[in-house]
Amino acid sequence: MAQRSLKTRRGELSFPAYVPVTTFGKKYPLDDLIRPYLHRLAPAAMVSYYYAQEMSPETSLRLPTLVDSGGFAALFEGSRLRQQKGLGVLEINRDDRTEQLHPKTVLEFQEEIADVAFTLDFPIPPELDTKEAKRRQRLTIANAHWALDNRRRRDLPLYACVQAWDVESARSCAKQYANGGFEGIAIGGLVPRARNLELVLGIVRAVREEIGDLPLHVLGLGHPNSLTQLFEAGVDSVDSSSYVRYAASGKLWGQSHQRIEEPTPTDRLHLALCNLATATGKTLPLSSSQMLFSTLRMSGTS
Amino acid sequence: MISNPAKASANKARSSDQQTILDSGLLTIGFNCVLQMPTGSGKTWLAEQAIENVLLRNQRAIYLTPLRALASELGERWHQRFAGRTVGIFTGDYKAQAMSYQRSQLLIMTPEKLDACTRSWRSHWHWLPDVDLIVVDELHLLGDPHRGARLEGTLMRLIRLNPFVRILGLSATLGNRQELADWLNGVEYGSSRRPIPLSWQVVRYKRAQEKPELLLREAQRAVEAGGQTLVFVQSRRRAEELANALKDSGLRAAHHHAGLDHTVRKQVESAFRSGEVSVLVATATLEMGLNLPVRQVILYDLQTFDGVDFVPLPVNSVWQRAGRAGRPGLDSSGEVVLIAPKWDGQVEHYAKGQFEAIRSGLSQVNGLAEQIITEVASGLCRTQTQLEHVFAQSLAAKQHRLASVSETIGAMLQAEMLQETEFEGQPRLRATRLGYVAVRHMLSPQTVLLFKQILETAFLETYCELSFLDLLMVAASSADCQPLIPVDFEALEDLNQGLAQEPSTLLGLSCGELVDLLQADGKRLLAIFHTALIARTWTRVGATFQVADEHGCYAFEVERLRESMERLLMAMVEIATAVAHPDSPEPDWVTPREKVKILAHMVSKGLDEQTVTLTLVPGIGAKMARQLQQANIADIEDLALAAPNQLTDLPGIAQKRAGQWVEAAEEMVDCHSSAYRYRESLPVGKVTGTRWSPDMADVDPYRLRRALSLKVQGQDGGVYRITGGLDPHRVKLGTGQFSCDCPDFSKGHLCKHILAVRLFRGERNLEELVAALSESGSGLDLFQLWIGA
Repeated sequence: MAQRSLKTRRGELSFPAYVPVTTFGKKYPLDDLIRPYLHRLAPAAMVSYYYAQEMSPETSLRLPTLVDSGGFAALFEGSRLRQQKGLGVLEINRDDRTEQLHPKTVLEFQEEIADVAFTLDFPIPPELDTKEAKRRQRLTIANAHWALDNRRRRDLPLYACVQAWDVESARSCAKQYANGGFEGIAIGGLVPRARNLELVLGIVRAVREEIGDLPLHVLGLGHPNSLTQLFEAGVDSVDSSSYVRYAASGKLWGQSHQRIEEPTPTDRLHLALCNLATATGKTLPLSSSQMLFSTLRMSGTS
Repeated sequence: MISNPAKASANKARSSDQQTILDSGLLTIGFNCVLQMPTGSGKTWLAEQAIENVLLRNQRAIYLTPLRALASELGERWHQRFAGRTVGIFTGDYKAQAMSYQRSQLLIMTPEKLDACTRSWRSHWHWLPDVDLIVVDELHLLGDPHRGARLEGTLMRLIRLNPFVRILGLSATLGNRQELADWLNGVEYGSSRRPIPLSWQVVRYKRAQEKPELLLREAQRAVEAGGQTLVFVQSRRRAEELANALKDSGLRAAHHHAGLDHTVRKQVESAFRSGEVSVLVATATLEMGLNLPVRQVILYDLQTFDGVDFVPLPVNSVWQRAGRAGRPGLDSSGEVVLIAPKWDGQVEHYAKGQFEAIRSGLSQVNGLAEQIITEVASGLCRTQTQLEHVFAQSLAAKQHRLASVSETIGAMLQAEMLQETEFEGQPRLRATRLGYVAVRHMLSPQTVLLFKQILETAFLETYCELSFLDLLMVAASSADCQPLIPVDFEALEDLNQGLAQEPSTLLGLSCGELVDLLQADGKRLLAIFHTALIARTWTRVGATFQVADEHGCYAFEVERLRESMERLLMAMVEIATAVAHPDSPEPDWVTPREKVKILAHMVSKGLDEQTVTLTLVPGIGAKMARQLQQANIADIEDLALAAPNQLTDLPGIAQKRAGQWVEAAEEMVDCHSSAYRYRESLPVGKVTGTRWSPDMADVDPYRLRRALSLKVQGQDGGVYRITGGLDPHRVKLGTGQFSCDCPDFSKGHLCKHILAVRLFRGERNLEELVAALSESGSGLDLFQLWIGA
C-alpha cells in the first residue's frame, strides 16, 4: 500500500501522523520548554489561531505548522455566533474587549504563517438543540467554501472542517465538501464525545466513505488508547495536547495511576517528551531514554 | 568520491584503539561515553569524528576545554577541518566575539562559559536544545577542588535541559572510569596502550643544591641524542631561573608559564616546535592539552602547593606531564625522568600509573550551596524535595559523599540568600536579591555573604568608612578573586611600606579582628594585602607593565586581577544596593554603594579617584581622561574652570564638544560632584614590621621560631644531638660549616636544628632576631603573619 502523505511547503507530512499541539505566549510555559524538541519527535505541530498570534521569527517552529481557525472559542462563555452575508462570524469577549473572528481574518493570517490551514468552524456540543446545531453546521460549511474560493496561496493545503451531532449529520456535511477542491477534511467536535468511541468511529467511517482518498484529520483527539482504532477507521492524522497536559500533572502515559511528586520544569519536559514519543512511535535516543526514565520517581496516586 | 584528500587523511584511524572505537560505533551509538586513553593516543581525533557526525546531521556540538590557549589552537585548526561549518570560540578571551551562539554550529567553550549559559538558560534557549553532543575534555577536572563542583553542576543542568545531548568525556587519568560512566548512564572504553611506550627513570639527589646539575646532565643527554626535553617545575620563578641556567651552560633553552604575554607564549611554543629551542622549562600550564610532544620529560619538582602546604604531586598530574614524552615516528620510547631525593621511598609508585579516583566537589558544603542557589535562581527547582531529587542524581550522591541538602538549604535561608514563600499552600524557595547576585556574577555564596557582612557594618555605623584599599582587600579576600598574588619573604618590607602609606580603616583593626573579618590569616592574609595593593597601584598608574614591575609580578597577572576585581566590585555594588539603609544619606556623604561603584570604575579604567571624576562627563572615557590629565586638567573641577580652547588644543576635540564638556562639568560641580568627592581622609594603615637584618636574610623566621622549641642535648666531638621535634637529629660542625641529617637540610634549607645549635652556642645576631620575633609592636605586624605567630 502506497505511503499516504500531504505535501506542504515545508516538506511531506507522512501518514498516519500524531500532531502535537503547542502554544505560544506566557500562558503555558511548559510548551516553551518542549517546542525546540518537537521536530525531533513529531512530523508537524498544531497551533491554535489564538496562540499563533504570539509567534515570532525567533520562536517559529522548525516543522510543518498546522493552524486551526480558533472557532473553538464558540464554546466560550460570552461568545456569540453571528451571520454576516451568509458567513459565520464569531464575536468573542476576551479581557474586557470584543474580538471578531471572520473567515477572512482567519484565512489571511493562515496564509501568512501556516503550512496547513483549517477553515473556520463552530463546534456543536452534545447538549445543543438541533436548530442551533444545524445553524452552526450550515455556517461552518459556508465558511469552508468561502475560504476555498478566496484562497490566494496555492501551496497552502486547506482542510474543510466537519461539524456534526451524529453519524448522519456528519455524512451530510462531508458530502458538501467531497470533490470540492479541498486538500483534506477535518472532523471537529469529537472531544466532548470521546468517551463514546462507537459514535466517534461511526462518524469517522461515514466521513471517510464520503470523501474518498482525501486526507482525513481529527481535531483534538489523541490519547494513545484510541489512536490505533482511529487510524484503522480511516483517520490519517490527529492533533492533541494531552501529551503535555498529562506531563503538566506529573503523569506518564501508560502509567496514569502514578505521578511524580513535585515535578520540576525539566521533569515535566521529560514526561512530555516520553508521552510524545509514545504517541508518534519515534525512538528516543539511548542516552536520553535511560535518563528520562531514571528521572521519574513515580509514586502511586491516592 | 571524497574530493578533499586532506579530509580523507584526517578521517583515517591511526591506531588500533581508534579503529576499535570507530568500528564499535561507540562515538555514534547514542550512549554517553567515557574514553580513557593515554596522552597523545588520539583522543582529540576521535572527538573530531564524533563532532563531524553531528555536524553532518546539521545539529550542534560543544567542545569543552579548560584552557583558553587550547581553545584558540583548536579553533584555528577546526575552521579548516570543518570548512563550511561555523566554529565559534567562547572563552572570555574573545571579548569582541564575532560569532554569536546561535550562528555557531561547533562551539568551543570553557566550562565557565557553558556554566553561565546553563544558569541563564532562558536567554540561550534558541540554541541549547540543538546541541547533540558535548565533548568534555579533561573530564578528570570533575575532581578539581575549585572547579569540579561547577563542572558537575553544569553538566547535570545541561542534560536535564537538553535530554537529547550526548556526553563524550575524555581523559588520560581516571581512577574510576567505570563509576563515571555509570553516573552518566553510559559506556566506557579504556586503553593504556601508548603509541610510544614510556620508560621511567628516577634520578636521586642528596641535597637540593644538586638538582640543577642533575637536570643539566639529563637534558644534555637527551639533546645530544637528537631529542628535545620538556622540564616541569612548580613555580614561574624557578622556570625562568632554570631556563637561564641551562642557557648559560650552552643549551638552547626557554621558559613557559601563564605569566607570559600571549604573543610571547606563542613565540616560545613555535620556537620549540620548530626545534629552535631544545629545552623548555614550564609550569603546569603545559600539563594539559597543548600539543608539544618531546623525547624526554623531566619532572624537576615532585611536589605542589595545595593552598596550605606542599604535598606530593598526584599520580594523575605526573602522568599528565609524563604523557608528553615520545614523538610518533621519531622515538621508540618516551623517556620520563623523575628527580627525587634519596630519602623519598614512594616515588617509584608513579610509574605504575594507578590513577586517583575522581571525587565529586559536591561533597563540600560550599560547592553544594552554590549549586543550590543556581538551581533556584535559574528557575529549575523550587522546593527542597526537588533539590533533593536533583542532587540525588549527582556524582557526589553516587559516591555517597553528597553534603546534606537540607542542612545546606537551612544555612542559606539563615544567611538570607534563599527565602521561603508560599504558593497554593505549599512552601517554595526563592532566591533573594543576594542569591541572584551570586548566580549572576558566578560567585560562591561565601563571597556574597562576606561582602554583605562588610557592607552592612559599613552602612549601619555611619562613620565607619571603608577606604578604597579596604574595599580591594575585601574583594581580594574572597575565594573568587583570581589571581591572589602571594608575597615573598624578601618583599615584606616593601609591602610594609606600601601599606603604611594607604588610608585604611581595616588595617587599624587588631590582627585577630582582621583575621575574623576577612576569614584569612598568615600567608594568605599577606597575599590579600599584596593583591589589594597591586590593584590600588593600578588605579594610580594605569599601565600593567609598570605596575607589574613595581610589585614584582607579571603583567598578565595584573590584567587578570583587573578583570577579576572589576567583576567582584560590580557584584559588591549590587550587594550594597541590597543592604541599603532606608534613610537618605547627607548629599555630601559618599555612600558605600557609590564608593564601590566609583572604585569599580577606577579599576576598570586604571584611573585614580581624582581623574576618574572626569569620566563622569558623558563622552569622556579613560583614554581621554588621561589626555586631559596630561594637559593639566586633572579632575572635574579643573574641567569646569577650563577655557574651551584649552581642550581644542588636544587632538580630536572640536569646539562644540569642548563647550559641551565644560558645561556638563560645571553642572556636575554645582551638584556636589567635587573633584575631591572621593579623596580619602582616613588615617593610614597602622602596619609595622619586625626589622629583619639583611645579614640574616637566610634565616627563615618560621624555622627560627620552631628552633626555640627544640633541645640541644649536648655535643660529642663536634656532633650535637637535637631532640624535641618529631625525630631526634644530629648536627655536625665541621670546618666552620654546619650540616644536619634532616630532610629539610637536604633540600638546601637552613634547618631549625642548625638554628637551635647556633642559639645554643650563643650566636648574638640570632639572639637579637629571636628578641625581634617576640616584640609585639602596635599595629599589624607582617612578619608575625609570615611566621604564623
